[in-house]
Amino acid sequence: MGRFWRLVGAAVLALFSLLVLAQEEDDPAKEAEKQKKQLLEQSGGILPSDLFVAQGEQLFKAKRGPRNASLEACDFGRGSGKLEGVVGRLPRYFFDTRRVEDLDSRIRSCMVRLQGFRPEEIRRSEVVAIAFYLSSLSNEQPINVRPLMPQERQLYALGEQLFWVRAGPRDMGCATCHVTYVGRRAGVLPYSDVVAGRVAKHWPAFRYSNDQAWTMADRIRACYANLSMPAPDFYSDPIIALSLYMAVQANGAKMDLPGFLR
Amino acid sequence: MKYAPFFLLVALLLGMVSGQTNQAGLSEELKKLIQAGGTNYSNVLLRQASDQALCTAYRNRLPAEVLGSFLEEQRRNIKYPADSKLMGDWKQGEPIFNTLARGNCFSCHVGSPLNIGGNVGPNLEKYGQRGTSEAVQKYTYEVIYNTWAYFPCTVMYRFGHGGLLKPEEIAHVVAYLLDPASDFNTKPALRR
Repeated sequence: MGRFWRLVGAAVLALFSLLVLAQEEDDPAKEAEKQKKQLLEQSGGILPSDLFVAQGEQLFKAKRGPRNASLEACDFGRGSGKLEGVVGRLPRYFFDTRRVEDLDSRIRSCMVRLQGFRPEEIRRSEVVAIAFYLSSLSNEQPINVRPLMPQERQLYALGEQLFWVRAGPRDMGCATCHVTYVGRRAGVLPYSDVVAGRVAKHWPAFRYSNDQAWTMADRIRACYANLSMPAPDFYSDPIIALSLYMAVQANGAKMDLPGFLR
Repeated sequence: MKYAPFFLLVALLLGMVSGQTNQAGLSEELKKLIQAGGTNYSNVLLRQASDQALCTAYRNRLPAEVLGSFLEEQRRNIKYPADSKLMGDWKQGEPIFNTLARGNCFSCHVGSPLNIGGNVGPNLEKYGQRGTSEAVQKYTYEVIYNTWAYFPCTVMYRFGHGGLLKPEEIAHVVAYLLDPASDFNTKPALRR
């Protein structure tokens, strides 16, 4: 009898752990955590995003461009050369460019203004690497984006409007999925809650499913492309407006940077 | 001078019409923002249709006072196959239902024996249980052709209306769902 009950116990335990496993695979955050652990074990403690951060740091500190200057004097909103926590304070208005800028466009502006690059010379991969470096210096800091300047308030309002716009042959609109169908699946991943889910806290992010380093701009452009819509240009105002809208929704959230996502 | 009151009336009516479209359409500031996204982007977004503008303005929940005319307009635009057969060949419907770049139906609906379904749309498992009456065929065809005629502003593509599928292709998908011999109805659905 004793042996019988031990067997039953083992079977129940096995079933239970199977259930737990199944649940884990269903939650994208837990699945990402599992993948991260696996990658760390395989690589001896280095994540692919660490390599982007290191590359970005080199690019940031090297004297480059026609003016042979580094980006160390760049002002990301907390003053020239102050880098800590800046990712959580963007997008914001900058007096020198007279524009509301997000992380990507601010990096580009500094490459133009400090290093003397022409905008069309700037390589996207370099901007992304520098964004990863800066994000590593904002990890665990809170998001604090308060639109106060008239330009910021206007772009925020437009970002919210754009979030609800439906257009194109597939009647695409951000809110149609990311408000109405939050948590539901069309494909592998459930739709994230872009309004209440504080999604801005984990961008820029490394996407382990396809080995990509993405900023929020890449994420937004992929949303459009997934529904066969032409995406807004990099560094353009529609991207900055949507990023600003999402950053404000994430106010107060502690950032997890660089993000590690599917 | 004889026609002055007439012109005044026309001007007034035009003003009302443009006022209405302005109310539902993109604001001038939003148009400017969209233009900053580049020509490819703005070419699609600025060509927003009036029904899309309504869904945008009311955030996908139309109030009763616009619902009637909205549904009527959606229904009016539905076209049928030349041979007016609403059920085509289920074997031709299968790849449409199960291909990402064509119908992409499986991404949102459970029911296909070939692909794991999603849960954005209702479960269509054994959809053929409804039988193949004319009413069921017509409903199924029209929901695929223009889902907004039944579910205003919903997320599903308006396949016929948007030109994504031809009427004959939609009839093939209807057959894939309804034909008792279709794999959709004879084989078990894949689920997560």
